[in-house]
Amino acid sequence: MSHSSKNHFPSEKVVQVMVDSILRKNGVKREELKSNISEEQKQMLKEMVEDLRKQVEAFQQSNRTDEDSDELRD
Amino acid sequence: MNRLDEWRALDHCDDFDNDTTVKDEAEQVQKTKQVSDEWIIIKDSERVEVRTVDTQAALSLQASIKVAIGVVLSLAIADGDRRNSVMQELQQVMKTKQKNSQKTIVEKSRNVVINTYDTDIAVNIQLLLQILIAIVLTLDIL
Repeated sequence: MSHSSKNHFPSEKVVQVMVDSILRKNGVKREELKSNISEEQKQMLKEMVEDLRKQVEAFQQSNRTDEDSDELRD
Repeated sequence: MNRLDEWRALDHCDDFDNDTTVKDEAEQVQKTKQVSDEWIIIKDSERVEVRTVDTQAALSLQASIKVAIGVVLSLAIADGDRRNSVMQELQQVMKTKQKNSQKTIVEKSRNVVINTYDTDIAVNIQLLLQILIAIVLTLDIL
């Protein structure tokens, strides 16, 4: 099997630049955003993102383990 | 069936007025169209092990991340107009159409391991997560 799935992933930098430019273009400023979110909300969002990140990792990992075992058998 | 009796699409090519005009939809709906067609046929074989990606789990994970992006933006940007504008632009990037068709046939074989992997969905999930993280980083939450 010839899939090196990891290489297909979009570059982190590209996504960051894109998001940044979209926010900038719409006149969204960092300071303004900060004042809109309370510390409590911040913490909640942080946990939410962390949770999703873990779920994605677990998902990707389960695929990768399958690939690895596949390679071993080749 | 007689060849003449057959219905053929090109025989019915009428020239009718096509007055369709291009319309810009006021609101862009977040469109994710994913079709996963997977066929695994095993015939006359023994000890065949099949492992596939749980597409439903992947799709729901994908949906969760999209909701999370929406939540973050709605908390962060108070001004409705600007928020919608940001959402729309992001949605253009997130809009994906994917079709995944796989057919695997195993016949007269022994000791076979089949692994199927849906790269499309894995990439899409990764992209969405990166968008979410990028937004959150910009907001200085992480």
